[in-house]
Amino acid sequence: MTDFILRRLFQGFLVVFGVTTVVFVITRLAGDPVSLMLPLSASDEQRAAFAAQIGLDQPIWVQFLRFAGDVALLDFGDSLWQRRPAMEVVFERLPNTALLIAAGLGTAVVLSIPLGAIAALRPGGLADRLTTSISLLGLAMPQFWLGLMAIMIFSVTLKWLPTSGIGTPAHLVLPALTLAMTPLARFTMMVRAAMIDEMNTQYVKTARAKGLGLGRILRVHTLRNIMVPFLSISGWELITTLSGYTVVVETVFGWPGLGLTAVQAIQRGDLFLVQAIVFSIALMIVCIGILMDVLSKMIDPRIELN
Amino acid sequence: MTFRVLAMSAGLAALFMSASGGSVSAQAITIAIGSEPSTLDPQLRDDGGERQVNDNIYEALMARTPEGELIEGLAAAAPEQIDETTWQFTLREGVTFHNGAPFNADAVVASVERVIDPENNSEQMAYFGTIAGAEKVDDMTVIILTSGPDPILPSRMYWMKMIDPGYAAEGDLASAPVGTGPYMFESWDRGTELELAAYPDYWGGEPEIDEVTYRFVPEPGTRLSGLMAGEFDVITNLLPEFTSTVPKFAAVPGLETSVFVLGTDNEVTQDPKVREALNLAIDREAMVQALFMGYASIAKGTHVNPAAFGFNDDLDYYDYDPERARALIEEADAVGAPLVVVGESGRWLKDREQIEAVAAYWAETGLDVTTDIQEFSQYLDSLMGDGPRPDAIFIANSNELLDADRETSFIYHMDGAAASNSDAEMAEMIDEARVETDEDARQALYDEILKRAHDRNYTVPLFNLQDIYGMSERMEWQPRTDAKLIISEMSVSE
Repeated sequence: MTDFILRRLFQGFLVVFGVTTVVFVITRLAGDPVSLMLPLSASDEQRAAFAAQIGLDQPIWVQFLRFAGDVALLDFGDSLWQRRPAMEVVFERLPNTALLIAAGLGTAVVLSIPLGAIAALRPGGLADRLTTSISLLGLAMPQFWLGLMAIMIFSVTLKWLPTSGIGTPAHLVLPALTLAMTPLARFTMMVRAAMIDEMNTQYVKTARAKGLGLGRILRVHTLRNIMVPFLSISGWELITTLSGYTVVVETVFGWPGLGLTAVQAIQRGDLFLVQAIVFSIALMIVCIGILMDVLSKMIDPRIELN
Repeated sequence: MTFRVLAMSAGLAALFMSASGGSVSAQAITIAIGSEPSTLDPQLRDDGGERQVNDNIYEALMARTPEGELIEGLAAAAPEQIDETTWQFTLREGVTFHNGAPFNADAVVASVERVIDPENNSEQMAYFGTIAGAEKVDDMTVIILTSGPDPILPSRMYWMKMIDPGYAAEGDLASAPVGTGPYMFESWDRGTELELAAYPDYWGGEPEIDEVTYRFVPEPGTRLSGLMAGEFDVITNLLPEFTSTVPKFAAVPGLETSVFVLGTDNEVTQDPKVREALNLAIDREAMVQALFMGYASIAKGTHVNPAAFGFNDDLDYYDYDPERARALIEEADAVGAPLVVVGESGRWLKDREQIEAVAAYWAETGLDVTTDIQEFSQYLDSLMGDGPRPDAIFIANSNELLDADRETSFIYHMDGAAASNSDAEMAEMIDEARVETDEDARQALYDEILKRAHDRNYTVPLFNLQDIYGMSERMEWQPRTDAKLIISEMSVSE
């Protein structure tokens, strides 16, 4: 196990290094931060001075060596937009994103298991058809649209919840539910399919034949068996959420997390902040991957980690 | 499933209603702006979000009326010009910073020196490049020195915020600013909101609104929803099509004017007949109605801002005369000739829509028009780089200092960063106007420059854009030409 974790950590290190390098190259190809940052009326001398100040006047390989050296010390330089260390911005915004993801994915996990199970009890029944069609709708609706609709209904018309911002639990409700919709639909479909399979296995039939109650069969036997596939799909959803959904949801709801900050950093040509955010997210994704493998092994000892 | 979600959010909402609904005093307002200040240091950045906050905390020696007229601010009167490069300001008496420190000549000297200090590498040097230094004459008198004759110096001093040197040395200007303005900094919860409170000892009298909360909401649709839900009192950058949706709104001619700069040395556009045809081919009135719902004014023969010093009142609007445009293209033997229109998308209000509409009008003249919408930094390179000049390039040009030098130096002067002509004679006149300190003589020069550029069709001016703000029912406010959000000019009716 330790051997496995060490090997995965090494692979993860290579992945993070690769991603960071790619981002370094892309941010430097994607345009000139100096002209984005300075007013249109700035003179050529001012542009040159600014480029020199942030090191962009150097050849790209010099920039890369400096960059690699700094990254080794977790120093991503000062954000051009906020003029303070990029990592400080990341650490300030990360808890907001973590809270949003925990609330959103937590809701999805908690709701999907009973929903999927109910649907699986009578495949083709009313509950199943209802759950399946609404899940498909959930998968098909773009989160951007869903978020704006939720604001229109619950904030503008009903005035139950604030439209945007952060601070009270009420501010969390709409963004978390919007974020939860797609994973919830996917989890529910997955739980349903796995449960239907399990319910048709010999061991369930045997258990029922010997008079075991349905509730006990679900709790003790089938749900345990679907934990491993459920865990791996949750891992994937977590990664997708972290690297995609949060960007959309945070933008719609003005939620000051990493996703919104990434959008703003890109718009402002703040390449140092973009690098810091991408590095942090890549690192988190690698860690989530390792954690998922280890958890699966703990749940189902038959899994070979190699 | 949806039922459960709905029921759950309803339940949660009821649960948190008490938590979110605080007491709202009649004198507290909330303003939603699109971007958070990058810093609250008033002298480092060229940042709209920073200005929207700091314009209320800090003041400058000069100020402007809501209509754009330059008046005294922290100076007691308009500056006295001692010689070509020396301007003397007498300061207003009895002004104090929020920390109690007096505002005096030392503060002005320190402010000027800090912003022009190369160490600080301030982005605002784009506005202050001509300033050489400041000297104290006595406690309430200061002179500002320029590196050459600079008639725009008073306008520049309207842009330079005055700081307290003691606080600049020891305090935290970047996150807890201290100025002389009508509002004091209260708190800043990064990413979320920022609060200001009225300064009771303000020299101009305590403002009417006591507390201001700024919220940072980047998505325009969400800002609009927040206004509709009653969370915000003022939102910025309301789209013209939503003016009928919001409880209240106000529009004001803004700083930006949209224009196409024509390449006067390019194969097709070097022919004056072609350039004239390009100006005559556009139905600007139809565009104002269709794109801006009427909230834009047609540029009157030039892209210089109508509120700017140097604007030529005598110029005519370009006519809409498609037949004449077609005839001119035929006369110029340019039917089927290629014309490339360069632009960008998403930076300025309705930029892409304007570019595409104009390209369609131009195609009707018989030219073979292609539009090239570029990514913004690539576009900046087309606009200001050393490469070949585009046949026509779009820009919504802003004029913060409200002086015609901005547009003429940037777009008309053959060496200007965004210029596409090689008119040496006009460049000479622009150079002359830049250093002419006699106002009438300077106005006469601009009249001549703008007339020449108009007659030769160096640019295709489109619209002076209006800034539109959405407001709650209770807000009373007439927005300003210079786009500053001055809260002491707002009030609430209740």
